[in-house]
Amino acid sequence: MAATNVLGKYSPYNTVIHKLDSRFKLFALILLMVVAFLPYGNYTNRFIVLGFLTLIIAIIMIVGRVSFSSFFKSLSSMWIMFIFLLIFMFFLPNEGEYLIHTFKNGYSLYWDGLLNVGHIILRLVLMVALTIILTSTTLPMDITYALEWYLTPLRLLKFPTQIVSLTISLALRFIPTLLNESNRIMNAQKSRGVDYNRGFLMSKIRSITTLIIPLLVSCFSRSDELAIAMEARGYDPYKKRTHYKTLKFSYRDLIAILFILIIAGLMITVSVLASYYPGFDDLINYLWNIKTI
Amino acid sequence: MEKIIEVKNLSFSYEKEKKILNNVSFSIYKGEYVTLIGHNGSGKSTLAKLLSYILEPNKGNIYIENEELNEKSIKNIRNKIGIVFQNPDNQFIGSTVEDDIAFGLENRNIKQNKMKDIVDEYAKKVGMDKYLTKTPEELSGGQKQRVAIAGILALNLKIMIFDESTSMLDPEGVEEIRNLILRMKKENPDLTVISITHDIEEAYLSDRVIILNEGKIYKNDIPYKVFSNEEEMKNIGLDIPFVLKIKNKLKEKGIILDENIKNIEELAKELCH
Repeated sequence: MAATNVLGKYSPYNTVIHKLDSRFKLFALILLMVVAFLPYGNYTNRFIVLGFLTLIIAIIMIVGRVSFSSFFKSLSSMWIMFIFLLIFMFFLPNEGEYLIHTFKNGYSLYWDGLLNVGHIILRLVLMVALTIILTSTTLPMDITYALEWYLTPLRLLKFPTQIVSLTISLALRFIPTLLNESNRIMNAQKSRGVDYNRGFLMSKIRSITTLIIPLLVSCFSRSDELAIAMEARGYDPYKKRTHYKTLKFSYRDLIAILFILIIAGLMITVSVLASYYPGFDDLINYLWNIKTI
Repeated sequence: MEKIIEVKNLSFSYEKEKKILNNVSFSIYKGEYVTLIGHNGSGKSTLAKLLSYILEPNKGNIYIENEELNEKSIKNIRNKIGIVFQNPDNQFIGSTVEDDIAFGLENRNIKQNKMKDIVDEYAKKVGMDKYLTKTPEELSGGQKQRVAIAGILALNLKIMIFDESTSMLDPEGVEEIRNLILRMKKENPDLTVISITHDIEEAYLSDRVIILNEGKIYKNDIPYKVFSNEEEMKNIGLDIPFVLKIKNKLKEKGIILDENIKNIEELAKELCH
């Protein structure tokens, strides 16, 4: 199948990560993303902490048998952004600690820009990795169950959580189907002489419309048929439904929660200390001092 | 026999001038396996839509167990009729096989501990018990249709409508579904099956065939009689089943075979013994 999903696709293995409760996985994903974006003082600190997080995430990826090739594939769609970041961050700032060179007109280059880009890119890569871990080890249906569970309090405000979660799960369910369809349409149009790869902006836009319009039309007819099929099977959005699966919390999840909380706790502590205690802003020095004391 | 579906003087047209269905009446009895066939534009898919209340008739009525099909009764009637649609992808609602079979059960508020057993049982019935956790992309068209059938069988309904369910499948898938319907009928003789199809081989295996031509019922009889006249069938754009074709050719040569032969295996046996 030529269709590859940018956000990763579920891979049906039976690892520990797959067995974890999806509510926990969603929580852990968000927690680790937040932690990755906390301030950690100077660059040495940042790279130590992010390196530690990278290591943990890499281990999780290996345990969960996440496909590294699909991970790099989804990164490859981001490289233009990385280059832009690199150019802006490296050449624009005119201040910093680690000077490289000062030109005659007073413009100076600093290592700081490069370090800054490096750690921003690392954060983004970690974010992508975390998302891919979630999507490749959790069924879309389970992710929606988790979402629905987190949305439950909103029911008090008459928010239709069931409808929203079913809509999301249907959207996720149809992503591969529609990707296949768009591939089919593209091939059909290519065989009729449309060139998607060459040409300048305007001709590219024109050729893209030959894909978008048929795809939209088929989307509408699909959703129409789907609605009829759902109704025929007795679906009523405002009626109470039972659930085939409920999420069960097991001892495994408890251990995993403790593990993630310890990691996040450690990192948050470092972040707090780094921002409020000036003496702490260099983690290496601090640890060194403890040893020598 | 007990009438389960009655269609009375049904007419339908999208535009005023051209009637798609013109004064169609027929009845279907409990436990029957009826196929509705006709070439393109004969009105058979419109009839399917009317039977499943996707469209409303201009004139005439449809009665399901003596209850008129209308806006009010449709909720109740949905608990009697299950429909297998044409496109395997667009009726796969759950993200895995088991979720999809369970979808209708969830809508009917079946308790969770019972649901698991029901899903297992019906997945087994359609031979999909090894694929419970598979996603739709991993399945063939025929397998997806089998899942759809399991999802409807699990609801224990009285009537099943197949709305051109095999027209998007490869020959292997068509065969799978054809055999599954026959097996299903054997296991549950009270189940009424209406199959709207262009598969003449399937029609030949059913209890009764209704042929639609230009919005009217052209024939309504047992398959053997319906397909007896090859010329007539060709005139309305239909073919006759393969087994009958061979029988006719053999007849020309003076070899007369048993009337009850329905499929190729039986024919081969008869010829070789």
